[in-house]
Order: sequence, then C-alpha cells, then structure tokens
Amino acid sequence: MALWSWWLSSFALAAVPIAHWLFLNRAVAVSGRYSALIDRIRFGAPRDGSGEMDQAALLEALRAQTAADFGDDAIEETEPSGESVDETIVRSPQGSIAHLLFLAGLALGGAASAMLAGSFSLRGGLNGDVFASVVGQLGIPAPVLLLFGGLCVGFGTRMAAGCTSGHGLCGVSQFQTGSLVATAAFFGAGVGTSFALGALQ
Amino acid sequence: MKDALLTLALGLAMGVTLSRIGFSSWDEVHAMFTFASLRMFLAFCGAVAVLAIAWPLIARAFPTRTQFRRRPIHPGTLAGGVIFGAGWALSGACPSIAMVQLGEGQLAAGWTLLGIFAGNWLYSAVHVRFFKWDAGSCLDD
Repeated sequence: MALWSWWLSSFALAAVPIAHWLFLNRAVAVSGRYSALIDRIRFGAPRDGSGEMDQAALLEALRAQTAADFGDDAIEETEPSGESVDETIVRSPQGSIAHLLFLAGLALGGAASAMLAGSFSLRGGLNGDVFASVVGQLGIPAPVLLLFGGLCVGFGTRMAAGCTSGHGLCGVSQFQTGSLVATAAFFGAGVGTSFALGALQ
Repeated sequence: MKDALLTLALGLAMGVTLSRIGFSSWDEVHAMFTFASLRMFLAFCGAVAVLAIAWPLIARAFPTRTQFRRRPIHPGTLAGGVIFGAGWALSGACPSIAMVQLGEGQLAAGWTLLGIFAGNWLYSAVHVRFFKWDAGSCLDD
C-alpha cells in the first residue's frame, strides 16, 4: 500500500479531530469509547446519558422544589439573565450503539483503504517482516505478544484517561498539561520498548 | 439517527486516514519509535501543529459552542502513559488501530482487541480498590 507523505498525513490527521468537533461537537476519544463500552457491559447502567434528565427538566424540578421549600420569592434571583443560553449546544453523551458504530467505522475504513490499494486479504497473522523477525527472536507466539500488548494498551489508556487521539492529538494541540505528560510518557515508553525489541534482532 | 450515521462516517474516515498514514502497520510503528523513519513522527507533530492553529480559529468562528473540557492530571497520567506506550510498541496498535488492522484483514489484531478490552476492564476494576484519584474519562471532552 502506498503511504501518504508526512505533510499530507499531517493535514489528514488534523482533519479528523476538526471534523469530530464540527459534526459531533466533541473531541476524538477512542479509548473513552472502549471505557464506555466496558462500563456498559459491567454495570448495564448507561454512561450513555439515557438515564440523565435533560437540563431544562432538571432546572424546572429544582425551581419547583426551591419554591416549595422557601417560597416563590427565593427563585426570582435565579431567573436566566437574558443571555443567549439556547445557542449553547449542550453536549450529550453518546450511547453504546454510537461507540460500536464508530469502532465498526474504523474497521470499515481499514477495509476500504486496503481494498482501494488492492492489498486486501484475510491473514491469520499481522503484516510486517520486522514483526515476524521480532516474534521469532522473542520465542513467544504472536498471539501471546499481541494479547499482552493489548492488555497494556487497555490498562494504560484507561489509567491515563486518554490515548493517542484524545491526549496526543486533541490535548497536546490545546497545550493541556495532563496531555503533554501522558503523550511524553507513551511516546517515551514506545521508543524505549521498540529499541529494546530492536536490539533482539 | 443522524448522529449515528455521522459517527460511523467519521470512524470510517479516520480508519482510512490511519491506514494510509501507516499507523496500522507494526513495522511502520516500529520504524517511528526507533526513528528509523521520521515520516509518521513528523505526520503526528504536523497534525498537532495544524490543530494548535485551527482551534483558536474555530473558537472564533463558533463562539457560542461548548469548549473542550480540560483533561485531569493525576499520578495515573504518567504511569498509564508509560504502560500504554510499552503496549503500543509491543502490539503495534493504539486503541483505534486494532480495529483498523482487523478491517485490513490482519486478523491477529483480534488478540490485541481482546487485550484492550480486558485491560480496560482490569483497570476499571482495580481503580476503585487501589487508587484514590478521580480517573476522569477521555470520553466526554
């Protein structure tokens, strides 16, 4: 497959979070989608917002309770100050179906890319000569290496509350301290681990 | 419905992009981390630079829209990042990449995906017992 040049890749990679923000009004956060799905499986109860009251209903309920407890005078000060509140788009959390659709979209994108390049084929392994060589030198089966690596990815991204998309692309480009720390940590660890693997060859 | 279709379309666009950049190739990721090839490293840095310029412009164009929430910082930010980085170098995949690899027909990525779900589950189970900080979520900002 012919890969894009670094500058074309830069613009394409930047377009992803921008499109996310414009169309879905949220940052790209792939590991967060995994977390939400896991919570859905573990607790059943949605982090997907369907159990939450909408803002207007909540405000109305608060007003009614305040009026009941303290009388109608108490709530006058809390009336909206005439700002254009309704123009502010309230971000509603996406549901499990949306998370699954996004992950399915990623796979479809990979399939489309490979098919357009004419390189699509189902293989039991993972592509790459260096990968094959490293697996051979390590002397452990590829599935074990991938399962362990995946375990670290899942554990680490949930612990750091973000991955390459959320911390690396969105957080760093907004100069958020936490994202700078996380990104430096995972790039550093990636470099260290890869050099260690490379030394095996 | 509209939200669902948009989400699917954005996932698809991201999948194609990551595949064509080379992030779904174990060898390319290895070359990035060992600086054998600077292409993907520059692609990532370039994307961050483009975004850093784009966010203020977007904020000016849509002043009434919600701004991104800040991510929390806690001991897990560093430790989790290190564990994730090691896992990325071993498996050749960050969370979105496992799906892209599967779509390309690299079926062994199914092991990586299984590991990601198991690892995410494991952390969410141990967090409450062993760690005191508010983990936050990468989802809602």
